[in-house]
Amino acid sequence: MLDFKHTDRTRREFEGLSLEHLDALYSAGLRLTKNERDAEDLVQDTFLRAFRFFDKFERGTNMKAWLFKILTNTFINKYRRRVKERTVVEGASREAGNERFVTREPTESSADPEQYFFDKLLSDDVIRSIDQLPIDFRLVVILADLQEFSYKEIAEILDCPVGTVMSRLYRGRKLLQKNLLSYAVESGVVLPRQAIEIEAGAEIEADVLEFKRRVE
Amino acid sequence: MTVECRKVEETFLHAYVDGEFAGDESAEVRAHLETCPACTDVVRRHESYKAAMLRANAAAPHAFHDAVREGLVEEAHHGRWIRAFRDPRAVGLAAAAVGAAAWFLAGGLQHPLFSRAHSLAEDGVALHARALPLDYTASDVGSAQKWLAGKVDFGVHLPQIGQVQGVRLSSFHSRPAAVVTYTIPSSDGRRISLLIVDDPEQQLPGAARRIADREVWLSQARGFNVASWRNDEIVYSLISDLDEQDVLALVQSAEMR
Repeated sequence: MLDFKHTDRTRREFEGLSLEHLDALYSAGLRLTKNERDAEDLVQDTFLRAFRFFDKFERGTNMKAWLFKILTNTFINKYRRRVKERTVVEGASREAGNERFVTREPTESSADPEQYFFDKLLSDDVIRSIDQLPIDFRLVVILADLQEFSYKEIAEILDCPVGTVMSRLYRGRKLLQKNLLSYAVESGVVLPRQAIEIEAGAEIEADVLEFKRRVE
Repeated sequence: MTVECRKVEETFLHAYVDGEFAGDESAEVRAHLETCPACTDVVRRHESYKAAMLRANAAAPHAFHDAVREGLVEEAHHGRWIRAFRDPRAVGLAAAAVGAAAWFLAGGLQHPLFSRAHSLAEDGVALHARALPLDYTASDVGSAQKWLAGKVDFGVHLPQIGQVQGVRLSSFHSRPAAVVTYTIPSSDGRRISLLIVDDPEQQLPGAARRIADREVWLSQARGFNVASWRNDEIVYSLISDLDEQDVLALVQSAEMR
């Protein structure tokens, strides 16, 4: 049982499967904790825990998702208490939910390139916008848009129904894009006049309450 | 989808961009997009958003990659003891006996603060095993002490042990703390950590020994030896995988500045 060779072989197998995801885990950890020190702590803990429970990992299944499940659980249990969340704007998340159903007139579609302003933004602004999201939204946005997990994988990582993932993702993205738009105006990527048009485009909506009743 | 663009859910198009659809479904959406500028707009906008998000990813520092590897090696070599004692078939009774003995030896029955003392050793070992990157790299104790003086609000007297490597700022039960890393050339350059905490109420873990005019408390956690002492109300905890005799020798020879 206290066999060094066995432990070393296990460690090498674990390293072979896990270390390639270190950057991804660190990147997600950084956006969860919002600072480098806590991110390093969180990711170290994740690796040590994963190694300790490596015998529970089913060989051949999704290692990245397994590691992210440990990362998010560790974060929720331990670091969330420590990392002070910025004010959670209750109203803001409700507001974002109201934009779910969008009606668009095909004839009025502008193909205006300013609509696609996001990738002109500085990464710093994107990061600031992510960091402003309340934690439940931030989690799904990090998993979907930084790590490109599928909805189903996210549901497994967070232990919640796919429907919950989709609705949080939708609201999270809406909130985030609102922040991004204001940074885009601030930095001159988008003119204030265009910003109003973009916002208006996203706010023509119908049957919101009906829809919310159906989903929640 | 083909007719009802005025009511196509945005989420449907997002799911398409997110790669949620199988090949043939995807092809259907693509065919529709060719004829529908409104939906194309939504798709392009979402693609532009996704591209911006991907660029916000960060890579971990090189030093941190090394630290994770090092942490795993430490865990593999020390955690195995813990795992051995977790196996109920092999050592159930033995573990219970050892546990009871450890509790007794640690003075758990006498000290209401036992759990805090216990956690000094446990948390110290956890910090040591993580081997996180240093905030400040030093080659002599003097410069490490000088650097530390501007960072923590308590006086620190760093002992002269082996070769100092550097300092990392940390926290311990919400109190500011520092971890100084040394290597011991006489023991194959093994790494040891000195946890320094300003905690006047901290109960020191283990059993006391008198070494060079100083009370030094010795305990064990997860296969590491922990030697703790107090100097001007500041708690020092030395964590290493050296055996007890070597730890005592180190503490004894440590030149207190």
